[in-house]
Amino acid sequence: MEENKTIAAISTPVGVGGISVIRVSGKEAKNIASKVFSAFNVKEFNIEPRKMYLGDFKAEQFNEKCMMVWFKAPNSYTGEDVVEFQCHGGTVIAKGVLDALINAGAVLAGPGEFTKRAFINGKLTLDEAEGVMDMINAESESEVRAGYNLLKGNLSKEINEVQNTLTKLIAKIEVVLDYPEHDYEEQTAEETETSLEEIRSKLNNILKTSNTGAIVKNGSKVLILGKPNVGKSSLLNAILNYDRAIVTSIKGTTRDILEETYTYKGVKFILTDTAGLRDAEDEVEKIGVEKAKEAINYADVILLVLDSTNQLEPEDKEILDFIDDKNTIVVKNKTDLGNTLDLSNFHFKHIVEVSALNKRGVEELKQTIYNMVIDENIINSNLMVTNMRHVEAIKKALNYVDDCVNGINLGVTLDVVSIDLKNLWLALGEITGNNNNEEIINEIFSGFCVGK
Amino acid sequence: MTYNYDAIVIGSGHAGCEAALALARMNNKTMLLTLNLDSIAFLACNPSIGGTAKGHLVCEIDALGGQMGINADKTTIQRRMLNSSKGPAVWSLRAQADKVMYHTEMKKVLENTPNLFVKQGEAKDILIKNKKVVGVKTVQGDTYNAKAVVVCTGVYLKSDVIIGKVRQNIGPNGFAPANHLTKSLKKLGLTIRRFKTGTPVRVHSDSINYSVLDEQCGEDNIQTFSFMTKTPPKNAIKCYLTYTNEQTHKLILDNLDKAPMYNGEIVSEGPRYCPSIESKVVRFSDKNQHQLFLEPEALSTKEVYVQGFSTSMPTYLQHEMVKSVKGLENAFIMRDAYAIEYDCIDSLQLYPTLQYKELDGLYFAGQVNGTSGYEEAAAQGLIAGINASQYINNKEPFVLKRNEAYIGVLIDDLTTKGTNEPYRMMTSRAEYRLQLRQDNADLRLTERGYEIGLVTKQRYNVFKKRVNLINKLKAELKTLCSPKQVADMFNEKGETLPKVGITLKDILKRSNIFIEDLVKYFPEYSKYPYNVLKEIETEVKYEGYLAKQNIQIEQSKKQETTNLPDGLDYSKIKGLRIEAQQKLNNVKPLTLGQASRISGVSPADIAVLTVYLKTLKD
Repeated sequence: MEENKTIAAISTPVGVGGISVIRVSGKEAKNIASKVFSAFNVKEFNIEPRKMYLGDFKAEQFNEKCMMVWFKAPNSYTGEDVVEFQCHGGTVIAKGVLDALINAGAVLAGPGEFTKRAFINGKLTLDEAEGVMDMINAESESEVRAGYNLLKGNLSKEINEVQNTLTKLIAKIEVVLDYPEHDYEEQTAEETETSLEEIRSKLNNILKTSNTGAIVKNGSKVLILGKPNVGKSSLLNAILNYDRAIVTSIKGTTRDILEETYTYKGVKFILTDTAGLRDAEDEVEKIGVEKAKEAINYADVILLVLDSTNQLEPEDKEILDFIDDKNTIVVKNKTDLGNTLDLSNFHFKHIVEVSALNKRGVEELKQTIYNMVIDENIINSNLMVTNMRHVEAIKKALNYVDDCVNGINLGVTLDVVSIDLKNLWLALGEITGNNNNEEIINEIFSGFCVGK
Repeated sequence: MTYNYDAIVIGSGHAGCEAALALARMNNKTMLLTLNLDSIAFLACNPSIGGTAKGHLVCEIDALGGQMGINADKTTIQRRMLNSSKGPAVWSLRAQADKVMYHTEMKKVLENTPNLFVKQGEAKDILIKNKKVVGVKTVQGDTYNAKAVVVCTGVYLKSDVIIGKVRQNIGPNGFAPANHLTKSLKKLGLTIRRFKTGTPVRVHSDSINYSVLDEQCGEDNIQTFSFMTKTPPKNAIKCYLTYTNEQTHKLILDNLDKAPMYNGEIVSEGPRYCPSIESKVVRFSDKNQHQLFLEPEALSTKEVYVQGFSTSMPTYLQHEMVKSVKGLENAFIMRDAYAIEYDCIDSLQLYPTLQYKELDGLYFAGQVNGTSGYEEAAAQGLIAGINASQYINNKEPFVLKRNEAYIGVLIDDLTTKGTNEPYRMMTSRAEYRLQLRQDNADLRLTERGYEIGLVTKQRYNVFKKRVNLINKLKAELKTLCSPKQVADMFNEKGETLPKVGITLKDILKRSNIFIEDLVKYFPEYSKYPYNVLKEIETEVKYEGYLAKQNIQIEQSKKQETTNLPDGLDYSKIKGLRIEAQQKLNNVKPLTLGQASRISGVSPADIAVLTVYLKTLKD
């Protein structure tokens, strides 16, 4: 059985760094450590938990002077005995330390296995584990904050409230069915529909945060578009603040799609530069153009780059035909060379004047992009749905709200509608882990005087 | 002296009767051992069979070849369909049964069943050899050898009847208690618990002032319990409705110190769903009245059952309480109300076959498993009897799933969740209740009953005939009608006329058009029996919801078929909460699905188990 094995892995990112941490977890962790590590001034590995020891690590090809700490079960991340080594950075050293631990009896940990063990050993709940995973994988501050809120149970609280309303509603319907001879006031179809509409608007409000939530979690996709040689690559470099794209004045230099990320106000943006959109004769460039058309569908924001020193040309207008004004920012580039472009005949909502060369207007552009995708109220609130599993569950729940309301409007009796009410209740339970049917029955008994 | 049987059933209540009949009908030489032949199928509490979810159980028992439905139909003196204004899933038949006839009719059936030997005597010891049941020894000193034993002792084990300060070691209605068997059960490793239930007063009919009360009449033209009943029973009596009032409540509250439930005399668990009147008054102090139904106990007696007036107050207070009720001012109490305490086992120690996990051949059914109600008992008796027979004859266990029958829900709840109070069946406990209707119990179960040899050829033929008619009608509903053909009907029902042809099925789908309308305008369909027409109507009208439930049933199958390894020690899986570890070790569920239904095992625990099972596989 795998769980009896002691696992080891390099816990810091692969590559050159200041230090590397190698973690060992399992019953044999301490024993394995004693085979390869001798702490200075400690006899017979007589160590105490949660204390840092300096000592010698004997790897096969080298000796390493490093630190070691032992966490005694169950007071460790995984809930098992854990030993951690902090050694000098560098791939060779960390790899050598890990190899030595494996030779001493540890097995290589699978992906996420430390967290999996923490979960099995009760150190983390499902929600929390998700929160931790989100925080670990976070690439921006706002993502960390969202993970933290999940960990704190802010979403569960909201969902629980909706579930409680539903529990009462279902119990009121069910009690009349199971005790038809009692003189209870019956739940009416109208009352049920009113409650359902309240639930719908609550769930919609939660779901609304998922747009911002998804952007916080996955980053916002910003697409740079424009005919060849309007300075798209220069703009990309200006936003990123370094040279990524090759910038030349020959049209069509950027043949493939370039993707780079930057962070602005704690939010991650994925910037995509495309080949100039035009009917390419060159086969290689043609592929780039197709990809760009496809990218438009997936972009959250489109930066339409125009040359401010010229008037709109047919090629520009061609691009205008297949983009949507809603999520488009017109970037008038090359303002350092002049500003003769007249857009007064068009009704663009967002126009930013930029000189990619002098980095002028770039900050304003970043802010405009940010404003377009981020709802400040949501990002600063303590409830934001970032997890796809949660989004799916809420969408599923909303579908059941539709089913319930449709049923009621078709005149289906409430005992049958309650099939969908229960489905709705269960869908919400997928988020919080609260889906034990027994609760409704308990509500019937505690809320009503039943009996023959 | 010793005697040889295939099986012995201990107890002749509703569980015992079904168990014994199932065993005998499946060709096992069976002895039904009972404390008193006069207590066979005794309706110790309310003189009625059925009601919500309970009516479903009776129809299922009948569909499998059990006796309760036939016996109830034969002895019904009033019947009604509860919830008839609701959807078909919750229509529930409830019948007032003639208490005397119910007993004598069932006794007659038992006596006339081949292979069945009904014997008065008290079981003392269950005999064991090599972890297998080998027989029963009686208090009278006889030993009966058998390969299987079904224990259906109801509320008789060490029963105490309590009225006020008076505690008597007697059984229901003054019958003798069974004081010896508990010791033997304990020795076999069974956990013994103590539950409580109660029954209301019976008053003399002539002392009731019916003129001031609302009457309740029976209904004709409704389904019967048994698919074999050809002539529906007639409504021979009326029931009456009255209420408690503030004076009644004051009497109870002023004298709570005399109520055994509140002064510490009774500490055992009573049922939440069938509380005594004192519990109702205390727990729901905002209600200033509670309903009481007056139900005649039999045609041959003047005794009237006061439903809703269960109490264990001293007799002089019972008298005062009854007198305070409208219409009962001069009522004469013929039998006092009482509470009864009894030994029962923990149903978590049973497999879904109702066999005790630790001993082959030992089965338990009925109130001894911690349930309440005649119907719940009979359902378990039937399943225990069938499985005892399967065991004797080396055949496959017979287990119904939650999506197949209320019986499946009942037994899965008992053996998976267990119960801390007398368990009552409710429609809210069945997650797939649209599938589990009274009207289609035969379609769900009769084939299964026939396979195991319990359903007779005669019943099977009746069933087959109905199935054929249903299929025929289903095919005919695909007939296309021209707008002209349906114009009259649509005009009368205020429906907008279709522009093109429409099938009968699509017509029936309209929420405003019922099978009766269809028969009215297409009289050729009147040749079909009413129950066939109704069956189709329900299936057509609820097609969408039925399909939705079918999807859920499919989805749940994955968990239901994920087996949990034998001998898994859940206390080693630290991610499970302690309560879940204990419950899982206690129940030892066979599948992940079963584990998920154990109360105290949360979905988070199931997530832990799922991850754990994966690591086992890796």
